[in-house]
Amino acid sequence: MEAFQHLMTGFAAALSPMNLMFATIGCVLGTLIGVLPGLGPAAGTALLIPITFKLEPTSAIIMLAAIYYGAMYGGTITSVLINVPGEAASVVTCLDGYEMAKQGRAGAALGIAAIGSFFGGTVATFGLVLVALPLTRFALKFGPTEYFSLLLVGLTLVMGLAGKSLAKALVMGILGLIFSFVGVDPVEGAPRFTFGVAPLMDGIRFVPVVMGFFGIGEILINAERSLTGVMAGEGKVSSFFPRRDEWRISITSILRGTGLGFFLGLIPGTNSAVASFMSYSIERKVSSHPDKFGTGVIEGVAAPETANNANAALIPLFTLGIPGSPTIAILMGALIMNGLTPGPLLFSQHAAFVWAVIASLYIGNIILLILNLPLVGWWAKLLKIPYNILMVFILVFCIIGAYSLNNSLFDVGMMIFCGLLGYLFKKLDFPLAPAILTLILGPLMEQSLRESLSVSQGDFTIFFTRPISLFFLILAGVIMVTSAWQAWPAAIREESKGAEV
Amino acid sequence: MSRVNYIVWGVLLAFGAFVIRESLNHKYYGSDFGPGPGFFSFWLGMLLMVLSLVQIVMIYRRPAEPLPDGFIPSREGIKRMLSIMGALTASLFLMEYLGFSLTMMGFCIFLLRRLGRQPWWLTLVLAVAASFGATYLFGLLQVMLPKGFLGFI
Repeated sequence: MEAFQHLMTGFAAALSPMNLMFATIGCVLGTLIGVLPGLGPAAGTALLIPITFKLEPTSAIIMLAAIYYGAMYGGTITSVLINVPGEAASVVTCLDGYEMAKQGRAGAALGIAAIGSFFGGTVATFGLVLVALPLTRFALKFGPTEYFSLLLVGLTLVMGLAGKSLAKALVMGILGLIFSFVGVDPVEGAPRFTFGVAPLMDGIRFVPVVMGFFGIGEILINAERSLTGVMAGEGKVSSFFPRRDEWRISITSILRGTGLGFFLGLIPGTNSAVASFMSYSIERKVSSHPDKFGTGVIEGVAAPETANNANAALIPLFTLGIPGSPTIAILMGALIMNGLTPGPLLFSQHAAFVWAVIASLYIGNIILLILNLPLVGWWAKLLKIPYNILMVFILVFCIIGAYSLNNSLFDVGMMIFCGLLGYLFKKLDFPLAPAILTLILGPLMEQSLRESLSVSQGDFTIFFTRPISLFFLILAGVIMVTSAWQAWPAAIREESKGAEV
Repeated sequence: MSRVNYIVWGVLLAFGAFVIRESLNHKYYGSDFGPGPGFFSFWLGMLLMVLSLVQIVMIYRRPAEPLPDGFIPSREGIKRMLSIMGALTASLFLMEYLGFSLTMMGFCIFLLRRLGRQPWWLTLVLAVAASFGATYLFGLLQVMLPKGFLGFI
């Protein structure tokens, strides 16, 4: 009850004409930035921070939060239309969204993503209202041990994304982890895998890798075949609503995605990418046609898009001070710049600000739905631009995006290198998503493991003696065994098929 | 396909060995009881090697498979890819000296003519938009792009 009273005060502030205008501008700019291929929500939000410098803190964060939401949806648009995800959370949307677009159903994919995002985002915002205060109190009980076990759950999900070959998915997960360890060791300060190259001391940044893997890699794959007719959606985009028979599946997927995304949103450390990956895995597991996933099924878009918005990545940021994704980390930086330190004390020291931002999230969801659903057809018109022209613009924006993160040409070089790697991996049928997931989770995992063992003075049993940690470890074990069990017969079948050939 | 698979898993095996070798340059246990900087990378290298070895054995035991259709790109396809990679690499090295706008202008003209086969007038319009237009737009957003020897573009 106390929370709802605060929320009403928040609505009063968020609905002021100025804040409403900033939220709308943020949604439009965010969607535009998200649509620019290769720029993505993280780079886009970072680029737009200077715009908010002269605003008062509440308006600035309302606008940045709207940019974040808009950019997330913009990232979905590029995932569907040109197979370039804006952020890790949209990676999984490419799998079926792009395939739908290739079949001329980009409108339906974007429409269901907008509806799912609205529903998931709305539930998540109300969820945030309900759980914010209790979670803030619970926050003090979570230590590095629990985080490590939780992140292990995230890593075992890699196996659920195995695709055709479990071994290839595992290898990609390992490569992502190895990439994530490049740079100065966080505890000892020793440089690892840097080979005397100074820029590598800061580690391999996530954005150039994603842009390379998904932007440049995809362009190379397309260039190899032909530059005409490879653009998704050669067919016409006639409707942004799913077919009648798809509604039932979509609704259940959206409900499952909302439940899962919201549940994961409550757990600190799991970002919206984990929610979307996990949601996709679950949909495939419960589906009556799991083999069709990756060929353009609507639930492959509806569930992850709902889950990553229902994830409410702002819950851990506001309640625990933990950024769940690169974009949220940028938002955290913006909060600190405005003299606000995210964490449990935020709710007591800056209640008016927090509740106004929470209310604005709900308003932002409505603005995005109004903005995006009728405009889906307009966004889909991007398909009409010849690919050989669009490709050049994608490359230019990829270069700008990689460079602008740190004003570093080294990052541009890293993106080009990752583009070549991405091309080779795609060619050899190695899934890219596990590498991206482990690249994000790797440093967090290593840090929490080492902190836990410092606390226990090197005793590994600490992970089994703490109940929450033990629960997560058991969960990770169950996921691992299930995934291996499912992959094994497929491997045997594959082998026997090979023998017949 | 078997030969390609041997090469791929062989490269991964070698990479795993390389990761282990590098990890041995660092402490396995840290000074604060926990794992050192070499702990994680050592075990990841080991895991990569084991996985690669298992796959090599499996390929050896499995009958040879033909290459999937379209696995080897056409000569035109290779030329297109090399054009893109060449243009990207050249722009990376030239950007510091020529600046973003001029480099991107050349980059766009080359790719639009080479791959897009667009008419000259359209090529120039698009190249100016993507280079000088982008510099102006991102300048408004206070994104500093490399300026090069002229110092203002």
